[in-house]
Amino acid sequence: MALLPLLLYASLGELVAEKSGVANLGIEGLMLMAALSSFTFDYATKNPFFGIVGSLAVVAALGFVFSFLTITLNVDQIVAGLGIYLFGLGLSGVLYAIFTATAGAGAAGVPIVPKLEIPLLAGIPFIGPILFQQNIVVYISLVLVPVTSYLLTRTGLGLRVRAVGENPRAADTMGINVSRVRYFATMTGVILAGVSGAYLAVGYTGSFQLGYTLGRGFIALAMVYLSNWNPYKAFAAIFVYDFVDSLQSAVVINTPALESSSYLLALLPYIFVLVLIPVFGRKARAPKYLTIPYRKD
Amino acid sequence: MRGRPWLRVASYNGVAIAVGLVIGLSVVAIAGGNVVQALKSFFITPISTTDSVGEVLVRFIALYTIGLGVGLALKAGLWNVGGEGQFLIGQVMAFIGVLYIGDIPAPLHILLILLLGAAGGLLWISVPTILRTKFGANEIVITLLFNIVATFVVLYALNGPIQGKTQSFGFLLTDQIPLNLTLPILIPGTRVSIALFITLGIAIAMYLLVERTALGLRVSTVGESTETARYAGIDVTRAFVLVMIVAGALAGLAGAMHATGVLRVLDTGELQPGFGYLAIIVALLGRKNMIGIGVASLLFGYVIVGAQDMAQVVPAQSGMIYAMEGAMLIGVSLASYLLTRRGSA
Repeated sequence: MALLPLLLYASLGELVAEKSGVANLGIEGLMLMAALSSFTFDYATKNPFFGIVGSLAVVAALGFVFSFLTITLNVDQIVAGLGIYLFGLGLSGVLYAIFTATAGAGAAGVPIVPKLEIPLLAGIPFIGPILFQQNIVVYISLVLVPVTSYLLTRTGLGLRVRAVGENPRAADTMGINVSRVRYFATMTGVILAGVSGAYLAVGYTGSFQLGYTLGRGFIALAMVYLSNWNPYKAFAAIFVYDFVDSLQSAVVINTPALESSSYLLALLPYIFVLVLIPVFGRKARAPKYLTIPYRKD
Repeated sequence: MRGRPWLRVASYNGVAIAVGLVIGLSVVAIAGGNVVQALKSFFITPISTTDSVGEVLVRFIALYTIGLGVGLALKAGLWNVGGEGQFLIGQVMAFIGVLYIGDIPAPLHILLILLLGAAGGLLWISVPTILRTKFGANEIVITLLFNIVATFVVLYALNGPIQGKTQSFGFLLTDQIPLNLTLPILIPGTRVSIALFITLGIAIAMYLLVERTALGLRVSTVGESTETARYAGIDVTRAFVLVMIVAGALAGLAGAMHATGVLRVLDTGELQPGFGYLAIIVALLGRKNMIGIGVASLLFGYVIVGAQDMAQVVPAQSGMIYAMEGAMLIGVSLASYLLTRRGSA
């Protein structure tokens, strides 16, 4: 259950944004900025919740730049997204280096979000501790799966999001404000990417490093594609991925003989994703206007 | 504006670099560095000595070689965001070539090393290409994933097959490539090797291919509209495979040339030069034109040397370079908005 919430937040957010026709390739950069800022805010206030809230403000500002460029100025989503990725990757690294230089070695770890034990259920042997002894950020990520699915398929808001991703011109004719809906969906994705990064830093490890997310933002992008833009399938794919990933780390830690090939074993989860793409991606059908700007004329 | 394309390209490049520079200077200021000094580093250092001009050319070679492939793929409407990974694998393959090819005459050996590098890049782009053409997967996400996978492969190789005999303080690195297997140096006192001629030769070939052959026309047609291309009887899949193979091989070759001509040693620090991402910027700034990409590469060679010098006062230098690259891409976005608005008005 280590990476599950991380990937869930990032993937569900990206899923919503993509449903509206906006692919945000920059979520890896946003996650890194969120991880770094939640870490520093947590360090300053000694409260991980302030860390999360503070980081969301930082990420929202950066995400707004992306939204403005792609939705209002209609620039290429891929170029802008890559820009946000590299910018977030670099800036978070530099700021962390400046932070450690000033705060000293004592800043190695910060307090993390406390675990919330659910009475009785946590006592169930074996699965009890795994399922019912997690922190609130983990529980919310799980609840978010049905919530996202419900909002997208059963509400007027979800219908509008899907409409601007499938046929923005028709949506416009129906009186839907295309750019407002896209702003809403894209910023939802940005905020959730922020929660994802903040979870890594202050909800799970209590630390940070340059490139700390290890490309999980891109894994999240692949998961959205694998799921065929369905939140439940995204959950299933992420669950299996997380299992492979945990298994891999467990094997490496417990078998010293494998140490020299640990880098190759670290590849397993990534290869796993690559193998699944042709199997499940075959039937995938992206929102029709994904990455295509809408010009009202 | 319309009648003067060079002005368009120049302003395009200018906006991108300006945005990057503003971010770079802000970082220097945050880190408590001297901003005036940083500006001087950025503009003056790259042309101050023969050595630094050589460094500009070294970066030009790498950027142009990768950028030509990225630009060709873009012409066909495909994004090779995996130049970074292909470049790294090209480097690893070069060291494998140095260590594992037996006794043969040095010139032949060097040639084989370069070919191995190209083969490595080709191998690295083959899976994304297959997933794109056979399964319709998104090549952007997959080439990006392969960049991350490549860094693990480099770590593995540095820990095993190409590990050096001498280790320094627990840092992983290879042994130095013997002098007789390095690319001959062209300008004494610099690291500019005959790779410069190889790159320029490829550039001319690519220019002729794109502008003067039916194949080039087919690629451009595919890039404009796969529908139109299909109506015209063009095999879209073949065009896709062709451009991806060229893109991968060129990035791999660039890696091998960088390893044998410039670095001679591979360590974990070299995992983060960012050439693959910069190549996307130069391909976009050169507006997919093979000569325009060259101009942008030269300009960015200058920019990186300046930025690297500027970054010396900042902790985590690679972080600062990445932040500037990201800002430049955002600058490219902005420039494209400003120019299309101007053009349509």
